[in-house]
Amino acid sequence: MRLHISDVGVRFNKITALRGVHASADGGKIIAVLGPNASGKTTLLRLIAGLLSPTYGKIELDGIRVDRMKPYDRASKVSWVPRVAEVAGAFTIRRVVELGRYALGPSTVRVDEALARVDLLDRSESLWHEASAGMRQRAAFARALAQRTPGGLIVLDEPSSALDLQHLQSLGDLLRRCASEGDIVIAALHDISFAMEIADEAVVLKEGQVVLAGQTRAVLTPSSLGGVFGVDLAWAVDDAGKRHLVMP
Amino acid sequence: MRIRTLSIIVFLGICLIVAALVRLLITRDVDDGSITFSLPEDRFFIYRFVPLIAAFIVGSGLGVSGMGLQVLLRNPLASPWILGLSSGAGLGVMTMMFVEHTYNVGFLGGQSIGAVIGAIVTLSLVYLLSRRRGGIDPMTMVLVGVVISVLCGAGIMILQHAVPMGLRGAFTTWLMGSLPEIEAWWKLTVLGVITLLGILLIAWWGPTLDAACLSDDEATSVGVDLPNIRRKLFVTSSVLAAIGVILAGPIAFVGLIAPHGARLFIHGSHRVLTLTTAIVGALLLVCADDIRQLIDVGSGRLPIGIVTSVFGGIVFLVLLLRNRGRI
Repeated sequence: MRLHISDVGVRFNKITALRGVHASADGGKIIAVLGPNASGKTTLLRLIAGLLSPTYGKIELDGIRVDRMKPYDRASKVSWVPRVAEVAGAFTIRRVVELGRYALGPSTVRVDEALARVDLLDRSESLWHEASAGMRQRAAFARALAQRTPGGLIVLDEPSSALDLQHLQSLGDLLRRCASEGDIVIAALHDISFAMEIADEAVVLKEGQVVLAGQTRAVLTPSSLGGVFGVDLAWAVDDAGKRHLVMP
Repeated sequence: MRIRTLSIIVFLGICLIVAALVRLLITRDVDDGSITFSLPEDRFFIYRFVPLIAAFIVGSGLGVSGMGLQVLLRNPLASPWILGLSSGAGLGVMTMMFVEHTYNVGFLGGQSIGAVIGAIVTLSLVYLLSRRRGGIDPMTMVLVGVVISVLCGAGIMILQHAVPMGLRGAFTTWLMGSLPEIEAWWKLTVLGVITLLGILLIAWWGPTLDAACLSDDEATSVGVDLPNIRRKLFVTSSVLAAIGVILAGPIAFVGLIAPHGARLFIHGSHRVLTLTTAIVGALLLVCADDIRQLIDVGSGRLPIGIVTSVFGGIVFLVLLLRNRGRI
């Protein structure tokens, strides 16, 4: 699968949320989208997932405009994980995950597998509105896992914001596994260390424009990110010799 | 269907049958007001059977209409009554009555068409005025619904004031909401069949309704054509609510309470929830009809709309207080 974004921009009334974005990606890659608050990360992800139509420009998956696909067809190619999953109604966690199979047909095996991967199989009969924020985030990811077709596109909007360290590591492993099966994985992240850990490439947005893009190690440096976020950053080396970006 | 779910539906069905039997058997002595349980003479049986059938149609239709609106607007407080749909349908009926009486003309479908048009116009107004940033704001929607309801109420009062004295009594009785004791069988049959079709349609869309309970982005991403299902729900819920108004006038709270009553027993699947809501809606209205047979305020039996308003109002307050953190 190939994702191609050409000269895309979005305006909400008179506010420009995104302008002049060009990018492309092939299957097997994890791409991190970073940037300060209100830099356009969620808008870009919603465009890529076909949930929003651009004001100008186009986004294509294998040559087909993603915003013009029928939702039913798009569901077999694109999975979406929101920052905060919302469910209005008395649903169990299992039912919420099952909804990932809405367009593709029910599959107890896929649902059980997805629940097990996010460590929720034992809690699957818990009610959604009684679940913690972390459980809901894992359930939303499990829904995407139950929905995804290997070789497709997974778009995640801050999927790690409510996760503890164990589940953060597990999320990284699962995203790598999806990429190894040919998926394009695109995730907006605030955790720069996590982004450096899992992403092959990084895109940095500021005020609706791409200001940095390329290989993760080349893009995520103290000087480049310090300028974007307006803070002082430095490298720190851990006991294993790994480098991490820290605020001194 | 799981055994637990099936058991619940059977249990509710038995409750409905018992409530219906009570309605058929309950007899108040006209002289001393004592209550006995016995079948009436054959010629009077119809006066108990017709309101019972009407209660089945109106209760199940209003309940499922409320459930549909709660999914459509993603708001647990949505109902045909709260959103002004009942009063809109009422205004439609009143307008038709006024025009027919004043100008001595008849329209095809008459008051029924007035109810459907009134319901759809009102719900459209509420829907459009509640939109904010491309979505529906739940609090705005409830407030807009209440305001539209008040405006329709004002319209009804203007018409009530404008009609000749002889028609005012009919207007007032109608506004209290009551189950008909005399109704043409063809009308009951047609409205019953439409209600059944509406309930079955919404049950058929159950899996889509489940997915539509996710946020707009999530629902779209799993493959739901949201504008399409919302249009269909919008029209079907309006028709079901309008049928309630045609048969019984404005019946408050059944559309709000029945879905929540069903959710006490059923979690998740809207296919099962729709059928359960239909049974609970019918059960509520038949029980309300049973209750009104038992209450004598010295001026005849209470209209059923008063019973549903009193009991429904209390339950609504409880729901509102329980949900105040979420809306």
